[in-house]
Amino acid sequence: MLKKIALAAGLFSATALASNAVQAEVKVGLLGGISGPIAAMAPPMLDSAQLAIQQVNEQGGILGGQTLEAVVGDSACNPQNGVDSATKLVNIEQVAGLIGPHCSGAVLAVANSVTVPAGITLITPSGTSPEITGLDDKGQVFRTVPSDDFQGRSLARTLLDLGTKKVAVAYLNNDYGSGLANAFKVEFEANGGELAGYSAHEEGKASYRSNLAELSRGGADTLVIFDYGDGTGLTILRQALENGFFTNFVGGDGMKSDAIIRELGADNLTTFIASSPVGEKSNSLEIFNEAYKAVGGNPDAIFVSNSYDAAFLMALALEKAGGDSSKVSAAMSAVSDGQGEAVLPGEWTKAVELIAAGKDIDYKGASGDLNFDNAGDVPGSYGLFKVEGDAFALQQALN
Amino acid sequence: MPFMEFVNFYLMPGIVLGSIYALGAVGITLVFGILRFAHLAHGDLATLGAFAALGVVTIFGVSPWVALPAAMVFCAFMAIGIDKLFYDYLSERPKIIVVMSSLGIALMLRAIVQVVWGVDTETYTRGIVRPDDYWGIRIRDREIYTIIAMFVIVGVLWAFLQKTKWGKAMRAMSDNPDLALLSGVDNRKITMLTWGIVGMLCAASGFFLGINTELKPLMGWTMLLPMFAAAILGGVGRVEGAVIGGLIVGIAEETSVLFIPGEYKAAMAFAILLLILLVRPTGLLKGKVL
Repeated sequence: MLKKIALAAGLFSATALASNAVQAEVKVGLLGGISGPIAAMAPPMLDSAQLAIQQVNEQGGILGGQTLEAVVGDSACNPQNGVDSATKLVNIEQVAGLIGPHCSGAVLAVANSVTVPAGITLITPSGTSPEITGLDDKGQVFRTVPSDDFQGRSLARTLLDLGTKKVAVAYLNNDYGSGLANAFKVEFEANGGELAGYSAHEEGKASYRSNLAELSRGGADTLVIFDYGDGTGLTILRQALENGFFTNFVGGDGMKSDAIIRELGADNLTTFIASSPVGEKSNSLEIFNEAYKAVGGNPDAIFVSNSYDAAFLMALALEKAGGDSSKVSAAMSAVSDGQGEAVLPGEWTKAVELIAAGKDIDYKGASGDLNFDNAGDVPGSYGLFKVEGDAFALQQALN
Repeated sequence: MPFMEFVNFYLMPGIVLGSIYALGAVGITLVFGILRFAHLAHGDLATLGAFAALGVVTIFGVSPWVALPAAMVFCAFMAIGIDKLFYDYLSERPKIIVVMSSLGIALMLRAIVQVVWGVDTETYTRGIVRPDDYWGIRIRDREIYTIIAMFVIVGVLWAFLQKTKWGKAMRAMSDNPDLALLSGVDNRKITMLTWGIVGMLCAASGFFLGINTELKPLMGWTMLLPMFAAAILGGVGRVEGAVIGGLIVGIAEETSVLFIPGEYKAAMAFAILLLILLVRPTGLLKGKVL
């Protein structure tokens, strides 16, 4: 018994020491889909967010020289794990703001049941569901990636322009897949296109041949897949190709995954195209690309610029809010509203000086200017990518 | 709908899927019958087997079919090791504790797969394979092998259980462990033998799932529910029942798309499980009531 008391006392004093030591740190949560269907996309995204945090610390730190620390959590790309991890980050780690989660379903769940009730601001680099726009979030949910409402609609218009009037749609039954598919469906049908099949599927099944057979019965020769290329999307595309259900394949941004080229082979993907957000060429993007390459990252990986911007914006907002987490959401809008002196990626010292002098700043992100609207959304532009060699290459811009 | 289309796109995939479920369900039914608990780590042990075969393929550059026996042996030893380290230690405690600990084992096995092989989706061979046409039936070689291998593996197991001394001892322990012990059956040895066989079956089901689709760290876990449904449908403890159950669940899942929206396909295993528990809790072939 005495031993146990001694052990408890030891642990107690250890935690007391630890909490003294971390007082000079400001914590933010970095929540990503480390395991689960986007596990292959997540590491570069987390790395680029860490780059932003590293730059902040190298250039004098945050809030008068404190260290900014990112506490990483795993949302596994699903609502349950997202809420678990976010609860831990908010209640135990006491983070001042949350960067992530990555997947739309997790963003909606985390916002509704964790961050909004706790008054913590959330900024996601890749939660693209149109549902996020309509969240009752008291202005505390932001994203550095445009809503799929834009993507679905512009993809629909572009396909019609290319002469594809009849398609079948297979989408993953989650907030990402259904949001994107619905936006696509509305625009496609409104502009005279015909949906010969439109059906959701669950992830993780071994066979989708019966689903595909049902979809192909409508007579379309183009299949539009809104799914993840590292997950079920790969299985669907493989089985559709192998059995010749369709000849042409179109994917959303989730399908623009290297896993597809690696596992199916570029030769088999001549009729596959995928839409994806494209960073407009800008000074900011080049600065980011250089900095990210310098730490060994691949700037062409998906959502890395968005992820960097999310982390940098969170740091800027925290600095402007003076570390008060209840003021972060107002500060977030203020640091990127298109007004004030321009701050580019990596220009942390300059931003801190401007904020200290009471001047307005406007962050010009690597993924775009990122001027938030009232719902915390940003406008965006998309490109249609085809497989060329062993990589995706831009075919055309989406209108 | 033309008949051949039904055969090619609904029935055949259902039978292949059913064969994979069957291999898993036979293992589950053995653990259920002989050791009397629901083994929740079954799916993840299958994942480990599939990735072990991938390891053999990448290291030695051999065909995946050569890697299968190696993976089966590896998983057999893993299963025996897991039993020695964890389940045996808990064997005198209430069964629910063993069941919960098997959930912990599932998470540990998944973590091992993710640490060793990473989280990316993998395949045994790159590229795609278009099916061959046999008198109108479109089927791939690997699918034929999957079905044949399932019947061979289960056939050998069945003969082992019926004809050999050890197989009879396993069945005796399944019927009544105390009586078996009194008759001179070494329960400890039989437990180890059971785990060895279960490990092999796990590896085989994971391997065939992997060769027919892709290898993912969550692949086995998502198969767990249909496999349990198949084992209970066939009658717990009944090997041939698990095969019938597996095939029925597989075919039911694939053909369900004809009647219900595709997103509810995954619910078929649930529906079958509920129905069989309500209507005939002993399963199709008379198995144990749990």
